[in-house]
Order: sequence, then C-alpha cells, then structure tokens
Amino acid sequence: MNRSISVTLNALGLYGIALVLVGAFAAQILLNELPCPLCLLQRVLFSMLAIGPILNIRFGPRPGHYALSLLTAVVGAVVSARQILLHIMPRDPGYGSALLGYHYYTWALIGFAAAIVLLFDDRLRDVAAARPTGPFAVAAVLLVIGLTAINVISTLLECGFGACPDNPTLYELLRRLP
Amino acid sequence: MEFTALFLLVLAVMVVSWWGSHRLALALFSIVLVASVATYLHHATDTLNLSF
Repeated sequence: MNRSISVTLNALGLYGIALVLVGAFAAQILLNELPCPLCLLQRVLFSMLAIGPILNIRFGPRPGHYALSLLTAVVGAVVSARQILLHIMPRDPGYGSALLGYHYYTWALIGFAAAIVLLFDDRLRDVAAARPTGPFAVAAVLLVIGLTAINVISTLLECGFGACPDNPTLYELLRRLP
Repeated sequence: MEFTALFLLVLAVMVVSWWGSHRLALALFSIVLVASVATYLHHATDTLNLSF
C-alpha cells in the first residue's frame, strides 16, 4: 500500500473515532444521559484507538502502530461485552436509551469488533517512511486531540475529585458550586 | 477521578505522539493501557446474573 493511501485511510479512521466521540457527547448533552464508569472506560478506549493512526501519520505506517490499536480494540471489546452481559437478563431495561434498537455499549462492541477486523489486513505490514502530511490528516489528528481534551473537562465535571457514581444523574463538580 | 486521569493520560500520549518522541509515546501508551485494564478490573466486581 503506498504511503499516501495509508495516511488517508488512517485519517479516515481518526474521523470515524471522532464521530463516535461526538455521538457520545450528543447523547450526554442533548438527552442528558451521563456516562456510567464502564461507559467512560469505553470512551477512553475509543480515544486510545486513535493513538496508532496518529503515530502512523506522524512517523509513517508501521505494523507496531497498528498493533497498539489492535490491543486497544481487544480490551474495548472485553469492556463493552462485560457491560452487555450486565444487562442481559430478560426485562432488564439496560443503561441509557437505545439508538436504532441497540444501547451504546452494544454499538461500542460492534465498533471495537469492526476495528479488530479492519486491523487484520496483510497490507498493514507494509512500512513506509514519514513524510510531511496534508491538511486532511492534520485536521483529523487535531480534531481527535480536541475531543479528548473536551472529555477530560466533561469527566472532571461529572465525577469531580472523587469516584464516579455507578448511575450518575448530575455533574458532581457543578453541584458543589454555590 | 480515575477516568479524568485516564483521559488526561490519553491526551498526553496523543500530544507526545504528534509533537514529541516516538519512544516516549510508546512508553506512555503502555502505561495507559495497563491503567485502563486495572481500572476495568477494579470496576468489574459486580456479579453477572447470568442464567446459563
């Protein structure tokens, strides 16, 4: 795979991750559904999925960079599967509202599984040298970094300086303000 | 608080990956991955009410 196609695909991957993070924020803000601890962990892992592509864009595609994303996707799939199993009993309403019939953690499992499948490609073994990157890839990197920074603030507001509640209903740090 | 710290660490890895050194980025990534798994294990104490 030549270097420019590889960088474009990595940038598209970053835009995909950004879409997931924006979707999670949309549910949090528009539906006022605060993420539970396992939901937050899945968001952390979606953000971590972006590190492999960022390294690929900056230093050139290497198998080791894809391995980082693969490891992250496996851990993410385990976490989301665990949350699905927590709500698997009949008549369990699940956590939060459903999107197109599936809860967010089910979509997360589908997303992590898709990442695992996409990362198993023989062509990803190709190594290419780093070169200056175009605005499309740079914008993707900065977008994901910005969304992760917003998640830092949002999580701090939600959990405050203590442990995050299992079923959060309000922003802990805002509640403490006079 | 642990999730804020995790997001902060991920942000640090991203910043180092984009503007810093390759080796430091990989080292920080390993720390975040281990911390994430540890956080998962810490929160995975609820009983799974499975019927099979």
